[in-house]
Amino acid sequence: MPTLTIDNREITVPEGTNVLEAARALDIVIPHFCYHEALGAVGACRLCAMRITDGKVSGIQMACMVRAKDGMIVSTLDPDAVELRRHVIEWLMTNHPHDCPVCDEGGECQLQEMTIAGGHGNRRYTGKKRTYANQDLGPYIAHEMNRCIACYRCVRTYRDYCGGTDFGVFGSRDRVYFGRVRDGQLESPFAGNLVDVCPTGVFTDKTFRFKSRAWDLQEAPSICPHCSLGCAVVPGARFRELQRIRAGISPEVNGFFICDRGRFAKGSTNDPARPRQPRIDGTPAAMDTAIETLRTRLAAVVARYGPQSVALLGSPHASLEAAVLLRDWAQSLGTTRLVYTAHAEQDRAARITGARLERHARSLNDIRGSDLVVMVGADPLAEGPLLALAARQAVRGGGQVAVIAPQPVELPCRASQLILPTEQLDAALHCLAGGAATTLDATARQQLEALREQLAGAQRPVLVGSSARLGGRGVNTLFDTAEALTTPERTIGVMMLLQGPNSYGGAMLAGRGPNFDMLLDGIEDGRIRALVCLESDPIGESRDPARTQELLGRLDLLAALDARPTATVARAAIFLPTRTGIEADGSYVSNEGRLQAFARVMEPGVPLRDTSPAGHPPREFFTETPGSEPWPAWRVFARLLGRSEDLAVLRREIADLDPRFAPLAGIRPEAPGSRLTTTPGLPHYQLDREARE
Amino acid sequence: MSDLLPQDQRAAFRAKAAAIDHPHELIVDALRAVQSHHGWVPDAGVALVAELLGVLAVEVEEVATFYDKIFRRPVGKKVIHVCDSICCWAGGGEAIAAHLQQTLGIGFGETTSDGMFTLLPTCCLGACGDAPAMMVGLTTHGRLTPESIDRILAQYRAEAAG
Ligand code: SF4
Ligand code: SF4
Ligand code: FES
Ligand code: FES
Repeated sequence: MPTLTIDNREITVPEGTNVLEAARALDIVIPHFCYHEALGAVGACRLCAMRITDGKVSGIQMACMVRAKDGMIVSTLDPDAVELRRHVIEWLMTNHPHDCPVCDEGGECQLQEMTIAGGHGNRRYTGKKRTYANQDLGPYIAHEMNRCIACYRCVRTYRDYCGGTDFGVFGSRDRVYFGRVRDGQLESPFAGNLVDVCPTGVFTDKTFRFKSRAWDLQEAPSICPHCSLGCAVVPGARFRELQRIRAGISPEVNGFFICDRGRFAKGSTNDPARPRQPRIDGTPAAMDTAIETLRTRLAAVVARYGPQSVALLGSPHASLEAAVLLRDWAQSLGTTRLVYTAHAEQDRAARITGARLERHARSLNDIRGSDLVVMVGADPLAEGPLLALAARQAVRGGGQVAVIAPQPVELPCRASQLILPTEQLDAALHCLAGGAATTLDATARQQLEALREQLAGAQRPVLVGSSARLGGRGVNTLFDTAEALTTPERTIGVMMLLQGPNSYGGAMLAGRGPNFDMLLDGIEDGRIRALVCLESDPIGESRDPARTQELLGRLDLLAALDARPTATVARAAIFLPTRTGIEADGSYVSNEGRLQAFARVMEPGVPLRDTSPAGHPPREFFTETPGSEPWPAWRVFARLLGRSEDLAVLRREIADLDPRFAPLAGIRPEAPGSRLTTTPGLPHYQLDREARE
Repeated sequence: MSDLLPQDQRAAFRAKAAAIDHPHELIVDALRAVQSHHGWVPDAGVALVAELLGVLAVEVEEVATFYDKIFRRPVGKKVIHVCDSICCWAGGGEAIAAHLQQTLGIGFGETTSDGMFTLLPTCCLGACGDAPAMMVGLTTHGRLTPESIDRILAQYRAEAAG
């Protein structure tokens, strides 16, 4: 741990830290472009000059290229260093088109900041500028090469970090060009990260083009809702429209990057077809009235058929707070018929994961540092893209990836592929654990035995599975395998891809309750007369949509809370519009059991561009914002339960009542989440048996 | 496509690439092979090299565009690289470049209408001791004067005609 002095202040940093990072630890920002925490230092931009005044090497050096050494004395304020930085900025700017007024990067541009920090305020260069032809890179990313300062961050991100194969750097000298061989849509599912890493306006978000200045956006720390991994994102809204999403920084989860689904899929927030108006029997109603109607109609069902005639269906997409209050509401109604996903098999897989993950839990950061990742039946690019990116980092760090799946799995890294039909994945897991696996053919067995050897020798191995592909049985076997191969020296890690951002939270709450197929049976034989769906669309999401649709028609009461225009919403007698995660505070428990909060970015309302498409403010006046009816789902249940409608109070109550959710009490969206302790080891067979009863 | 590279050379590159750990090392050689056979490297040549060596097209294009002696556009029969670096400049390189442009009737980056010469500037040719210098095809000519240039160009024209 070297101790060095920077601008007369001492600091001790870990071995291998460079001077730029050491200075930052002292809150001294040395101007820089090419250095990036996730990409490392390459010394390409020559901006980060400082002087080493004492020590083995002295003189002007690039801070990012010099390792901090014991006794080093560094000045970032040295007049020569300051002057050098000024010149570097000036020549980096010689070809710049000075088009900040029409550049989307303006206002959050590192080049603007560094130009000012570098003291370059006047263009002296009067010669011709070098100009480039831009490329059409598809519908998501705009290209303006003239703004490039050749820091190479883009190509390091796209090719090295993300493993993209259709982007590069061409030419030499002062005419290097960053782009594709030919025009065309960027192929990498992580291409959007170019927008975040480029320190200038070369790569900008085309879907956001000319919509807002960065400083006019409402932004808040949030969690991506599009898969179970829980990446940090920062959505930006203006004029009641979710306009863009950029990556948040979460060292244990996504690091600095997100996938293109997380960045460009804006969900239901802006959807013109989104149902925003509460309805009773098809007639628009006020929220209060709709909630009271739900209460009285349910009371009537309970009075006639008993409390167990009411079933409640939660969702992998609803917030943990809503999910907890749904359970509390079930208890107050006196029903045990509570389920958190319409897909019974995924449900079973998620509950087993919740019960067995415990010490096997691994984060994406653990995957990045793993020496052997074995993926069984998982397809990360489809089910959780950042996991694929994490696996690539494992390979870049010298680790290996092995895939066992029914068809070759595309990954942005080298991986061995063993192709086995879905029915044999279970046997393959047995075989990995040392079982005989007689149903497998000899070559498969051989490969699996070799892999078992590898697992035995690995220091930081992780088994990756998927609830969708493996189902309850396979997930259970995967945990058996992890147990069997765990030694006192090291535990086999597990990462299970689940259905949605709060599948894990739902599984924790579902405990020993029934599954959705049992609810359907209950509806079929008339025991269940009422169903309330929280942000869940059983018609679209259950295993047997046709049967579900038919059975829902037999209910005395179907109620739905949602922000999406689903088939279930269309059929519901009582409909309550809910807010999306952009419009409400809440939290999710990710697939590794990590509780993370998201903050409200904006209030709900029909985007201004829809209420006044001609660009003129509306000419009619209301006291209410059009389309602002939706409530956070948790507030609906708080009302039904007669509890506080203040989220901070609710969170404290939840934490007090259920110690598993203790971190909820002080949760902050800008802080990294905390991993929850899982439901203590409820054996799966018990889960299964109790669920069947 | 067939005139990019003869089949036997294609096979040779395929075999070499398969036998080594870093087929990227062969990109320059393969590009030069295409260029000497076809005169320059068209898009299809980039694709062919990528396919022969089992590397990405973008990786081939990166190399092809980095080196100014790989031509990604059609050029004349002979390419003249005239040095614009320091020793040649000190030795009257600007006048040499002007003379070349005038005699050939073309600017930098252009090709004579008879398709004989393409004129390009280049950085140091390593012939500083013989400055000012130029390279025609792969042959370097030093201690240039307007007279010697006229002679050299005439010679190449005669060779081409004969
Ligand atoms: S395009 Fe952006 S990220 Fe890439 S080198 Fe240029 S300035 Fe850097
Ligand atoms: S990997 Fe999943 S959570 Fe992360 S950005 Fe992509 S869709 Fe969102
Ligand atoms: S940040 Fe150090 S040279 Fe670019
Ligand atoms: S400077 Fe012209 S050959 Fe070296």
